[in-house]
Amino acid sequence: MGFLSLLAAEAKSPVWGIFVPGQAGAFIAVLIFAILVYVMINRARAGQAVREIHKIAGLEALEEAVGRATEMGRPVHYTMGLPGITDPQTIASFPVLGHVAKTCARYDTRLINTVPDVVVYAINEEIIRQAYLEAGRPDAFNPDDVRFITDWQFAYVAGVLEILAAEKPAAQILFGGPFFAEAMIFIEAGALAGAIQVGGTASTSQLPFFVAGCDYALIGEEIYAASAYISKEPILTGTVVGEDFYKFLLFAVIILGTLVATFSSNNFLATFLKS
Amino acid sequence: MRKEIPMILTVLAGLFVIVAKYLFAVDQLGWFTTANRMYQVMYAMFFLLGVVSLTIVHGKNIQRRRSKWIYSLILLICMYGYGILTIQQTVEGPQANWIYNNILNPTDATIFALLAFFITSAAYRAFRVRTREATVLMITAVIVMLGVAPIGDTLIHGWNNVARWFMDVPNSSAMRGIALGAYLGSFAVALRILLGLERAHLGGAGQ
Repeated sequence: MGFLSLLAAEAKSPVWGIFVPGQAGAFIAVLIFAILVYVMINRARAGQAVREIHKIAGLEALEEAVGRATEMGRPVHYTMGLPGITDPQTIASFPVLGHVAKTCARYDTRLINTVPDVVVYAINEEIIRQAYLEAGRPDAFNPDDVRFITDWQFAYVAGVLEILAAEKPAAQILFGGPFFAEAMIFIEAGALAGAIQVGGTASTSQLPFFVAGCDYALIGEEIYAASAYISKEPILTGTVVGEDFYKFLLFAVIILGTLVATFSSNNFLATFLKS
Repeated sequence: MRKEIPMILTVLAGLFVIVAKYLFAVDQLGWFTTANRMYQVMYAMFFLLGVVSLTIVHGKNIQRRRSKWIYSLILLICMYGYGILTIQQTVEGPQANWIYNNILNPTDATIFALLAFFITSAAYRAFRVRTREATVLMITAVIVMLGVAPIGDTLIHGWNNVARWFMDVPNSSAMRGIALGAYLGSFAVALRILLGLERAHLGGAGQ
């Protein structure tokens, strides 16, 4: 029996192909998206018209928040929640941090950045240092204001609460993510400190708290458009426009899928997409 | 060159992940798993940076006798003390385990419990009927809260079904719509980094 089972095991046909099984569809989806974005970038490079991004109140409010802190002579607190360098929300937050740091440097306002992740801490310090350098104020950069507290969620919360109570920032920016239970605590502690609050995340479970608690809130994909919006670079805007076209394509597939699932007994579209 | 070399490395790493994740032949080589392990090793090395940062910030507090410097001292004693203890007896050691279960866990739960009070005060601020949106928010919240609490179904039979409909239909569809946009946005960010258009992570304001 042992020999027979060995033969049966050897008789199994080898698995091979171009794509990892189950990943072909995802690869094609990525490819279509990349082509769309590439076309829009090329259009922008060729000087052809690219649609503008609509006004995002939350990003416009960043300047107002820093301005308020300057007038009150109090610092700005910037947090990314519980970031990780592998999370796109964290990466989307970097240009905003750079922008805020540059604005703070220009207005001579103190920026406190608290971080619960060591890798992000190192990157944030470099971003802020460079922003102060670009603003012509390298001497104003204080490395002690970029603070790694701990990667333990509620210990980080305790650290931030102490900073909010002691430093009384006039503005708090909660941008990026992912955010979890700490978001609500930060928002309320910021409100108690009398800070104007600008929040933005794609963490859907925390979005209602941002909308309810912050003065300005950026919802979902708005945070990913931040770098294009701030820089006003047509090439970067092109990537956002490409993303919008892809979204229309997905909506078309969703509507078609709904119709097929409703009126046909054979859902060929779902079968095709799964294959 | 200060920004170009990291940018080239970022693009190469990004392309490597795409190739290693999707192409069968490369997947069989197991490079993706090796890269993940390398990331974990690098992450562990970065922890040293965190320890150095905490030591510098709190060391200065103690040295200059700033207000509340005593807490900085406690922090440094706890950090290095627990570090030495776990190196000596691992995290499963009797004392290390006791500290974890009887000091760290209850403190963690205490901070988490604060959330209840913060949510209440946030709800009070959010539900003040000032605008049309706040009114809609308040009415929906009352419907859902009554549906989830036992009193809702006791007062009006079937009320929890109304609340469930709000959660399953308008709430779920809105959340999925937001999530779909967010996924595409993260796609776009990844692509911008791969093409070298997004450079904020290399320092400065990104442009």
